[in-house]
Amino acid sequence: MTTFDADGITLEQVSEYVWEIPREGDMRVPARVFASELLLEEIAGDKTLEQLKNSTQLPGMTKYGICMPDGHQGYGFPVGGVGALDAEDGCISPGAVGYDINCGVRMMKTNLAYDDVKGTEQELVDALFENIPSGLGGGGVVETDVDTIDEILEGGVRWALENGHAVEDDLTHCEDEGFRAEADASKISQKAKDRGKNQVGSLGSGNHFLEVQRVTDVFDGTIGDAYGLEEDQIVVLIHCGSRGLGHQTCTDYLRKIEKQHQGLLNQLPDRELAAAPAGSQLAEDYYGAMNAAINFAWVNRQLIMHRTRQVFEQVFDRPWQEMGMELLYDVAHNIAKKETHTVDGEEGEYFVHRKGATRAFPAGHPEVPEAYRSVGQPVIIPGSMGSGSYVLSGGDNSMELTFGSTAHGAGRVMSRTQAKKDYWGGDVQQKLRDQQQIYVKAQSGATVAEEAPGVYKDVDEVVRVSDELGIGDKVARTFPVCNIKG
Amino acid sequence: MRTSFELREHTADVAVAATGPTLEAVFAAVADGLAAASCDDVPEEGTRFDVDVRAESREALLFDYLDELIYLRDVRGELPVDNRVTITEPDGDDEWHLEGSARGVPLEAVAARDVKAVTYSEMRLEETGEVWEAYVVFDV
Repeated sequence: MTTFDADGITLEQVSEYVWEIPREGDMRVPARVFASELLLEEIAGDKTLEQLKNSTQLPGMTKYGICMPDGHQGYGFPVGGVGALDAEDGCISPGAVGYDINCGVRMMKTNLAYDDVKGTEQELVDALFENIPSGLGGGGVVETDVDTIDEILEGGVRWALENGHAVEDDLTHCEDEGFRAEADASKISQKAKDRGKNQVGSLGSGNHFLEVQRVTDVFDGTIGDAYGLEEDQIVVLIHCGSRGLGHQTCTDYLRKIEKQHQGLLNQLPDRELAAAPAGSQLAEDYYGAMNAAINFAWVNRQLIMHRTRQVFEQVFDRPWQEMGMELLYDVAHNIAKKETHTVDGEEGEYFVHRKGATRAFPAGHPEVPEAYRSVGQPVIIPGSMGSGSYVLSGGDNSMELTFGSTAHGAGRVMSRTQAKKDYWGGDVQQKLRDQQQIYVKAQSGATVAEEAPGVYKDVDEVVRVSDELGIGDKVARTFPVCNIKG
Repeated sequence: MRTSFELREHTADVAVAATGPTLEAVFAAVADGLAAASCDDVPEEGTRFDVDVRAESREALLFDYLDELIYLRDVRGELPVDNRVTITEPDGDDEWHLEGSARGVPLEAVAARDVKAVTYSEMRLEETGEVWEAYVVFDV
């Protein structure tokens, strides 16, 4: 048997790209890493595997704890982690969702070709940067009061539609039609609402960005057609989450759980794994609050997308409808959802936690929106600003192997502190423009350095592994044209 | 014994390691580390504001204090710097009580990055000899 030794943790190869850490000690189930040897070497370079092992100690963890090919060290639960926790006698863990609840990505299509945009990149990047709030304290597309926040939390993208920030098609092309019915705004604290009210429609900073991209390759013509993607087409990718409202909600519930369920917490190896037992009041409250924050994040991305349409109208001097600016899809990569899965031939309900992992339901799954049900849901994988991003389709093997999940991005390999030593924002920006015709504009030069292409894993390799495993299949690749960030 | 902090390597996030002669000094040093993780150059402007936090343990007090600073940053639109801390130990059934202050630098005056939240992951707060040490990972 092929094994891989990672500093005290031995992984056994189960099949190509599948590695298992056998159950030992307090682990409730084994853990599996879905990666090539190349990616596994990077994953083994920090505390990812230790965190993955720790995550299997959560009550109700079923089958195995999962690490995606782009996994890296996070806090508590690893980034790139997936865990299906039994919804009846398991638990739900805010730390295994992450602070940025429903951090995710959406892609908007256009009918413009790269040639239509060439020559106006500078004007476009300036106009986007001017009009899309980013960074810390940059405000939002709308500034609201707490009553409006409640409407957003309970209404999701429907609120945006009713208030002129969306069209009906935006709802039908979003997961769950941009609305979680389980949302309960009363479970979100006043503090969280106060943080959120000035941030509705804002990118934030860190690795969040808005990017105008061109489609460079369509690998699967049939699914490409179903998604409406073709080579040379201009698309817009938006990556952000639930901002301060989501961060505060996670923090609030971590503390509540710490106080209420100390017994369970004491059995866990990391306090950041704090979990509320299924069926407890706090599990119910957190689920209602998390779903409300999911709605908030969808509205956030929707407002940014709609504002982008208006920016394109200014720059290209025609209505956005004429430019075919339609939502392809919106995916979440920090989320827990109650889902039905079949394990050992038996159907059961699970809180599937995906932290830095994307749902990837295949063709025919009833939860894939009708528009895409015959080909599988679109999965959007953002790369770094110097490399491409990918559109995948949910793969046939995802339900069996990964509880219907695949990767979420390139995954970092270099720390932010090291990146700032190795790179200078201005140099990175100039090099991208001169050598690759990518126009970058950011609030902070340090952010550009921290997000330099060299700090990420090779997104091509991550996607290749996903495709080979059949959990998320390659449909198209895109390359950046303009990028704005906080 | 000098009070100091440094930013430590972490793949995706930022960690602050701080030392100080007292519990209060190390709390303030971690808070200054949080400011440094948000912004490289801090201008000499802004007025001071108060921070008041109560919690059931030392670690929880540190967590809630840093969470409060992040919350106040967002709602005040100011980056808290030059942090000062006074801590009262619990008497009987009371909680730990922190009374502090910070200088709030208007966010429009700095190129600050969003530190999303404080985490409990790998958190350390301990006294060894005459020195207090803390290690805190922040989500960026």
